[in-house]
Amino acid sequence: MFCSLGEETPFVLWGLDPIFSAYARLYIRDILQMTESTQVPGVYFYNSHPIYKVDVLGIVVYKRERDDFFCYGVDDSTGVINCLCWKNDLLKEASLTGGTGGAQGGFDPVAEMRKLQRAQQSRCCVEIEELLRVRGSVKTTRQQREISASVFYKVDDPVMAVQISWMMEVPELYRQCYDKPLQLQSNTSDASVSSISKAATIIRDFLNQKSVAKFRPYDVQELLQPLILSQLKTTPGVQLLQLLKEALQTLQDEGFIYRKVKSQDEVYSVTGQDKELVIAVKDVIREDSKREKFAEKGCHVLHILSAVRQRYSLNLSKTALELVLKSLECNSDIISCSDSHYTML
Amino acid sequence: MLPPAAVYQFPWELNSGSEQEGDSVRTFGKWVTCLLTQYDPEKSLATLSTHHSSKHHCVIVHTLFVEPFDAVTGAQYIVLGELENIEGKSVGVMVRARVLNCVDGANIALLQRAINDQRRFLEERKPAVKGGD
Repeated sequence: MFCSLGEETPFVLWGLDPIFSAYARLYIRDILQMTESTQVPGVYFYNSHPIYKVDVLGIVVYKRERDDFFCYGVDDSTGVINCLCWKNDLLKEASLTGGTGGAQGGFDPVAEMRKLQRAQQSRCCVEIEELLRVRGSVKTTRQQREISASVFYKVDDPVMAVQISWMMEVPELYRQCYDKPLQLQSNTSDASVSSISKAATIIRDFLNQKSVAKFRPYDVQELLQPLILSQLKTTPGVQLLQLLKEALQTLQDEGFIYRKVKSQDEVYSVTGQDKELVIAVKDVIREDSKREKFAEKGCHVLHILSAVRQRYSLNLSKTALELVLKSLECNSDIISCSDSHYTML
Repeated sequence: MLPPAAVYQFPWELNSGSEQEGDSVRTFGKWVTCLLTQYDPEKSLATLSTHHSSKHHCVIVHTLFVEPFDAVTGAQYIVLGELENIEGKSVGVMVRARVLNCVDGANIALLQRAINDQRRFLEERKPAVKGGD
């Protein structure tokens, strides 16, 4: 519905794309060429998939050290990208608090911890020529795309096993995930259905809360605005009216509301709040259950329906009547003799 | 600031003339000191050789940027650098190495397959995604 080619997926739907919350193993060339989202900067689109974090493996071909971070140029044979790798505070501290701790021959957690940190540090100091794996979010600073690393480490790959398996895996990932169009397309009907039921719930809650008896569509139109805003803003008016129409239809089908008179003026009555309707139904049942024909078994729903239609409103739906009957029964005004027969107490 | 991406090229493709001078490539081969140019630290020239379809293919590597390193005769190396033409001699192209890694023990046949897989994939989707190789 709103997922046509060339247009961005609305950001509310991004979470439905599993790739969005994963570190995408894209080729660096693709990371450099992805278009940035106009809705949320820092999110990029590859093939209509929203992506903000990536996972790359490549040879370091450029290195620059700053006080707080390393800047590595990583080459995966399709492109080269800068990776900002922040220096770990722990590592800095570790070198300062060196002298403490005494090894009593047994297991010394402090010493072990220091060993671990040293190992980590050695993994984080990467030189040109070495293989680096970086996971992080994609950024664009000064029109240059880069990866701000959340995790990075040197990969020992003396016989290229890691690189080879990576090279064989990535095309497969592309075929199975990244190059497949977003599956939302097939789900759009579900998405619109759920937005209708959401809209219906909003209207129902509002009507209940305010004990509204009668309303016109434009009275509740604004309630649905938040549902529309999150979607594309091309033709909000048309979309809003469509959603409203469908939501009202749902409520009508449920019997929650009905139109007493079908005319140009669209007035809806809330079934539960319509006192006159309740009285009319009660009258019909009271009068007719006295008749010999209904005295024993009570009045059938369809009989009540046709009688109320003649007496009160031609448009009353069966579901609306059933709603009234149910509430009358709950109040012990009437009782049901069978599944579909009612009589007065 | 960043160097261009070094694309995988097989050693036997480098001499075919399809690559231009200055292109960044990465390729592999066995370290030899007995063919054409001996490893000469003063000249910083070495030769990598491979055997492909009953032919020997040699890539001359200029190692000035990656010195010092341990040269192991007969070991597999992977080299990443820029192509240059060598004047005078009819030995084809030379790679000015930026990266030279010893990968002895690597499964070269599998590496070839991986390179071919990647190429085929990038080739397949070329119509959809624009970009050079």
